Amino acid sequence: MDYLAGYIGRKASSATNHISNLFAFTCRIFVLIFQKPEAGRALVRRISLEQVYFTCVQALPIIIPIALVFGSMLIIQFSKVSGQYDLGKTMVMLIVRELGPVITALLVILRSATAVAIEISYMNIFHEIDAIEMAGIDPMRIVCLPRLIGITSAILCLFIVFDLVAIIGGYLIVWIFTYIPMGDFITQIGKAITATDIAVGIIKAIFFGIAITVTCLKHGFSVKRLITDIPVGTSKAAVECFFYCLVINVIISILFYM
Amino acid sequence: MYLINLVDYTIDFPESDCSFNKLNFTLSRGDAFAIIGDSPDQAHMFLKALAMLVKPVSGDFYFKDKKVDFSDYRNLLPCKKKIGYIASDSAMISNITVRENLLYTRYYFENLLSLPLDETAKKLCENFGIYDKLDICPGRLSSVDLRIAIAIRELVKSPDLLLLERPEDFIGHTNFDLFTEVLRDMVLTKLPIVFISYAKDFIEEFSNKKIFLKNGTLSIN
Repeated sequence: MDYLAGYIGRKASSATNHISNLFAFTCRIFVLIFQKPEAGRALVRRISLEQVYFTCVQALPIIIPIALVFGSMLIIQFSKVSGQYDLGKTMVMLIVRELGPVITALLVILRSATAVAIEISYMNIFHEIDAIEMAGIDPMRIVCLPRLIGITSAILCLFIVFDLVAIIGGYLIVWIFTYIPMGDFITQIGKAITATDIAVGIIKAIFFGIAITVTCLKHGFSVKRLITDIPVGTSKAAVECFFYCLVINVIISILFYM
Repeated sequence: MYLINLVDYTIDFPESDCSFNKLNFTLSRGDAFAIIGDSPDQAHMFLKALAMLVKPVSGDFYFKDKKVDFSDYRNLLPCKKKIGYIASDSAMISNITVRENLLYTRYYFENLLSLPLDETAKKLCENFGIYDKLDICPGRLSSVDLRIAIAIRELVKSPDLLLLERPEDFIGHTNFDLFTEVLRDMVLTKLPIVFISYAKDFIEEFSNKKIFLKNGTLSIN
């Protein structure tokens, strides 16, 4: 019994320590946003744009078909359940409020977050971070800040793309390929969606972006010496990112809709 | 004025069984130290310590007579910028081109991304035969070219101190004469250097003092 209590205590203490480290790391990156030194702005801007390109633009060919599949699948299923009534409302609730941000986050975790964790681990092991420091440059400003800005902006853009494609594209697919009656679907969507839904989506995307980036960077920087630690760190980072996104999703939904 | 002054400097490297206990060391302009020791690991660690890449357990590090505060790595950045570090663990940033690597510090501090290579860097790249490879990523260079690019980057950053680890192996025998020529010119300007080398001629030519490292203690001759 003592052994079990000790084990639980140690795990709880280590988890609390890890979470507070993540918060401290987030604060340190946020401080950099407000410091605004003249030096390095052009470089930070370029790396941020590159990150948006890698995370958002390159993900479009993947997220668009996924959004189409999800959108059309949900429309077909819910039009059968609810007939023509409340289909728009159901779609807004499912796609804009819940599935859109979560699927976007999952896609970013699978594609980019793991890549960032690997990249940072690699930079750490092969002394590239030391090389940046030896150039007199703060790696937090040149490595972490642009990735935070880039990934968060990318998730926000991808979330908007996902919602639009899932709703409009899904509707078009069902309308073209099936005879399922959907009533005045677009008008229903227009009536069902509120400013809160849009605001919540944006808030979720921003928080997901921050959680994903910070977790991956932290795990990336934790790998110090062994190349075999990279897959372990990356897998931990991916699982943690997804878990944090789900928790954040629930908390924001409770705050706004309960 | 000392460029570097270590007072009772204690460092511990648990992963490599190396440690330095209460080192006292001073380095001024014009000094050229050759490190002599039984253990290459220990010599390498000493270079790392001089490059401020290791946090001390205790003791003081003075850079240009100013005490360096190791509690925050950001305090070290202005000092590190003035140290050229050519060692086995020197690296280039792999996701940008060699040209961008050579210009990285200038990109950052001049806040411009359309800078050309300065004449010295261009000349060194031409002389060492990597000028036509500047627009590829470091990962695509041969290991010799990569190390030459690293050396050029460190030489053109106008360091106040140059740290070298076995330059004869790092640069490669084909380009070593060319490198010593460049180094000779730099040393003539009284640039302090600290190096590890197994090339007797190089030690004879470039060192005016010798550091003996044994069991974590240091003596100077």
